[in-house]
Formats: sequence, structure tokens, C-alpha cells
Amino acid sequence: MAVLLSDEHRMIQAMVREFATRELLPIAADLDQHSQFPREAVERAADLGLLGMTVPEDYGGAGMDPLAYVVAQEELARACAGFQTIVTVNNSLVCEPILRWGSEAQKQRYLPDLASGRRLGCYCLTEPSAGSDAMSLRTTAALRDGQWRLSGTKVFVTNGAEADLCLVYARSEPEAGARGLSAFLVEKSFPGLSVGKIEKKLGIRCSSTTEIVLDDCRVPGENLLGERGQGGRIALATLDGGRIGIAAQALGIARACLEETAAYVQQRQQFGKAIGEFQAVRWALADMATRLEAARLLTYRAAALRGGGRPCTREAATAKLFASETAMWAAHKAVQLFGGYGYTQDYPVERYFRDAKITEIYEGTSEIQRLVISRHLLARS
Amino acid sequence: MDVVVCLKQVVDPELPVRDFAVDPGTQRQVREGRPLVISTYDENALEVALQLKDASGARVRVLTLGPQQAVSEAIRLALAMGADEAVVVDDPRAPELSGPEKARTLAAAIRRIGPADLILTGCESADWADRVVAPLLAEDLGAACVTFVSRIERWDGAPVVRRLVEDGHHLVEVRLPAVLSVTSDDSNRPRLPKVKDIMAAKRKPVHAWSPADLTRSSASDPGAGVEVRGVVVPERTSRCEFLTGEPADQVAALAQRLRDQKLL
Repeated sequence: MAVLLSDEHRMIQAMVREFATRELLPIAADLDQHSQFPREAVERAADLGLLGMTVPEDYGGAGMDPLAYVVAQEELARACAGFQTIVTVNNSLVCEPILRWGSEAQKQRYLPDLASGRRLGCYCLTEPSAGSDAMSLRTTAALRDGQWRLSGTKVFVTNGAEADLCLVYARSEPEAGARGLSAFLVEKSFPGLSVGKIEKKLGIRCSSTTEIVLDDCRVPGENLLGERGQGGRIALATLDGGRIGIAAQALGIARACLEETAAYVQQRQQFGKAIGEFQAVRWALADMATRLEAARLLTYRAAALRGGGRPCTREAATAKLFASETAMWAAHKAVQLFGGYGYTQDYPVERYFRDAKITEIYEGTSEIQRLVISRHLLARS
Repeated sequence: MDVVVCLKQVVDPELPVRDFAVDPGTQRQVREGRPLVISTYDENALEVALQLKDASGARVRVLTLGPQQAVSEAIRLALAMGADEAVVVDDPRAPELSGPEKARTLAAAIRRIGPADLILTGCESADWADRVVAPLLAEDLGAACVTFVSRIERWDGAPVVRRLVEDGHHLVEVRLPAVLSVTSDDSNRPRLPKVKDIMAAKRKPVHAWSPADLTRSSASDPGAGVEVRGVVVPERTSRCEFLTGEPADQVAALAQRLRDQKLL
């Protein structure tokens, strides 16, 4: 795998691995237990340049390519998937669309703060009745006297409790579906925005997931992101990058499962020998490693395409689908091989099992990924 | 202010024991195919230098003995952490040189670099742990020497450094130039390089010199100073002994064994 990575990629990998080992591994179980936002670790990650990795240096970012981003995300998720969620949302769902669609003034105003951790971003697309069918969303945006007024409720917003800047999609045009949507950069302090219910979740518990309630929220005209009616396009294009970030998260979780299980089966004795001596156990490990490496290659390919500015919708969906199902499968195997201990919180695989599930759901469920992939296949034939 | 930090690249000391091997010909550790890292205490030395740079704008150069190909990663890491430039003495024989030979070459390189106020080294290398390079460097350069330094306490006026000793520490006022050998401490835990500095490291100057470019001091040439007759990997064996008799006798026997082993 290393052959695909440059010296810089490998140095970033080593640095993030060291950061994750020092700062995240020791606290990951506690953060999960108490659903606690790791503020200090986020600040340190920001200082190292992990919050705006692909933002150019001119805007205060680290100016790295998507492959470096993937390598770093895997390392973060290896130690703490919830922490990686916080970071990947800021990077790929907030910084990236501003970079691609934002005006110069918007880039100057928001990117340096997002990249340095002075502000944290969140992404407000999903609504109670618009999940997989995101383009049916109902939040409204009306322009009055040069000011936008947004009304509606967003749900499942990662970083919702702590974020300072919300990328909000709303229906601004009479057209139905994607063409009627626009994207807005809404600061948390704008009047009419409030944080609603904070969800209690199965996994990735150190990142907050909340409602964002917009009650006639006033947004200055210049905070429209891109053009009017371009929101649907922005949302879909942004998801390509988002899916690569989640694929990388799944790689981290799957690797955690593999590494913890490999260590455990060498020391756990049953029937007079280490259970790693049994062929059934060895084959399970070999399968975990094989699927992990295949998932990593798919993810690297999607990232490399995106880095080269080439279309990667299908490849990102493929990577996300395969990596997330690999993570869930590997977590299932890991808990099984740990036996009763794997079901307890004394060992980390129980957390990996809970964390893995979300990767099959957010940024498009596995079913939606299959829809995207098959749509590309049928369009070509 | 100019600071030179001497870095040695060693086989990763964290590697499992099974990856440790000795080349019977050279009587040195086999390096091929094993990850090389900056020797542990040298990273602490670099951190002390970088803290001085943060506080007073010192220029920090790192110096290492080659072979260049093998040291490039260590150099890149040091530059990414914040060193300003690097000098590599590209010597393929470097891993086989003794401490005194290395000290002479390093001293010659430091003279060529130009006047340095401070020269920092790790207090010992993670492989040979000779602990001789810093004092011999100081001797060669006519500089003061303080060993087992954990931090620089004061820089303005007369510099004061903290030297760790068994039951505490000494505060030592030093005259410059000085060679400090650095030990680890909470205050000098090596920083992680930032992502953008990893990229910027590519643009920082790396000078490669051949050993032939350097003028070693002829005075008091100690030669190799040491001769390595043999290197062996210690064999790890375990033995289990069952103590018999009444519980009270067993306890007494166990206590005696532990005393014999100086564990009690």
C-alpha cells in the first residue's frame, strides 16, 4: 500500500498516528462512555492542521491533496471514530464546498477560521421527512429586502451542538426537487437559529448529533453559497468528498478491529493453546486483512481521482459502500472472536461494533450507494 | 544565535526483538529492511533547540552523518518539526564508526558550518549508548560541556541550563559556545510536525558534504578509541522452580530467593 503514498503522505500518516496514539487512544473509551466532546483534542488537531487539510495555505489550511486527507482520517478513526466524525464533517462537508463554490469574500471570512479551529462547521441537509430522499427537503428560504429568511428543522446534524457555522440547504425557488434548492452559510449567532434536540446515539458518541431549528432565521444576502437554485448540485457534489471521508473512517474502524483481534487471539488461551493457533481463527483474520486492504485501495482510488479533479461519484460510492460494510463485518468478527469479553466494555471491540454501524447509514446508506453505482452502470450500457 | 543539533538515525528501538540481528562481519546491528528513526534523546535535543527558536528566534541547523539515502527521512522530519536547514555528512561508513570517530567528524562539520553558540546532542544514542560524543565534541571544539540537560532555564544574560542528577537537578551557568547533551523530560517531549510544515520541509535547504570536504583536528586524534570484539543478542531464558514444604517454609524460601535476586 505504501507504494501509492509519497514521502509526505507517509510523514503525515506517521504524525497523525502519533497524535492519535498520544491524544485520542487514552481517552476514546471515556469520551464514548460520557458522550463528551473532546474540545482540547480538537484544538490540538486544529493546531497540527487537521481541520482544514485540503484548504490551500492562502486560506490558512494545510494545502494537502485528498489522498493525504484519507490517510489522516484512517489514523484518527483507528483511535476514535467519533473524533474523526467531528473532523471529517468540518473538512469535507463545510470547508470543501466553501472552497469550491464560495465567493472570495466568503472564503476569506470563513476558511481561515474553519481551518484553524476558531470556528467549527456543521452540515444541515437532512430533515425529518427528507433523509435518503434529501432533495425533497422542506426548509424554506425567502429573500426579503436583500436578506434571506430561513424556516424549517434540520435533523441529524453532526457537530450541531458545538458548531459556529452551519451550511444549510433550503428551498428558495418554486421548482420541485434539487433545482429548487439553495445553500446558505448561516452563523450560529444569526437571529432565529437554535439547537434543538441532542440525539442519544449507539456509537460515535463523542460527536454531537442535533436538530438545528430555523425560525425565520435572518441570513445576509451575501451568505448565499453559490448561485440561487444551485443548492442541489452543491449538496450532491459535496457528498462525493464526504463519502470518501466516511470510507476512510470505516478503514480506521476495520483496522482497529483487525489489530485488536490479532493481539487478542495470540494471548487468549483455550484448549491448551492460543486461540490464534486454530485455523478457523486464522482464516477470519486473513479475511479481515484482505477486505480491509481491498477497501483501502478503493478509497485511495476515489481520493486520487478527486485529487486529480476527475469525476469520482461512482468510485466514492463504491469505496464508501465496500469500506463501511467491511467495517461492520470486521467488527462483527472481532466481537465474536473476543467471545464474552468482546460483549463487555472492558475491551474496545464493543465500541468498534457500535461505531461501525453508522458508516453504513450516514452520507448515504448502503442502499443509496448501490443506487448511485447501479445508476452509473445502467447509464453507460 | 546559532544552534546545531546532532541527530543520529538508528533502527527503530520499538521494533520487536525478533527483528534485531547482528551482522557477523561488521559486528554491527543489521539496518537493512528495518525502519530507521531519529535516536530517542536526539529528538529531545531538537525539541530543546526548537523551544529556544520559538523563544528567541535562534537559527537551528541539524547535522547528521550519512549515508545520505538512509538519513533523508530523519532530516525531513527534523525540518518539518521546525529546524531551518540540514547538513548531511554523506559517509556510507557512518554506522560502523566508533563514538570518538563520529565526534571528530561532527566537530569538523560544525567548524565548517560556522560559529555556533550551542551544540546539542542526545545524552546517549538508542543503539550504542556510548555517551561519549558530547564530551568529545566539546573537547575538539574547545567548548564548554554540560551533560544530561533537560531544558534551558534562562537565555538572556548568562545562560542557565537545568542538569538532571539522581536526586534532583542542578542549575548550571554556562559560557558559550557550549555542547549540551540532552536527556528526556516532560518539558522537552518532541513536538509533532504540522501538516503544512511537512510540506514546507521540502523547500528547506539540505547540504550534503563528503567526509573528504572536512578538516578534522589533528590534535589528540584518539583513533577509533574502541575495538568491538563481539556483539551478541542476549538469550532470554526462563526457569520455573517449585518450592515445596509447609506454607511457612515456602514463604521463607521465597523471601530468601527474592533477597538473593535483590528484588527485596
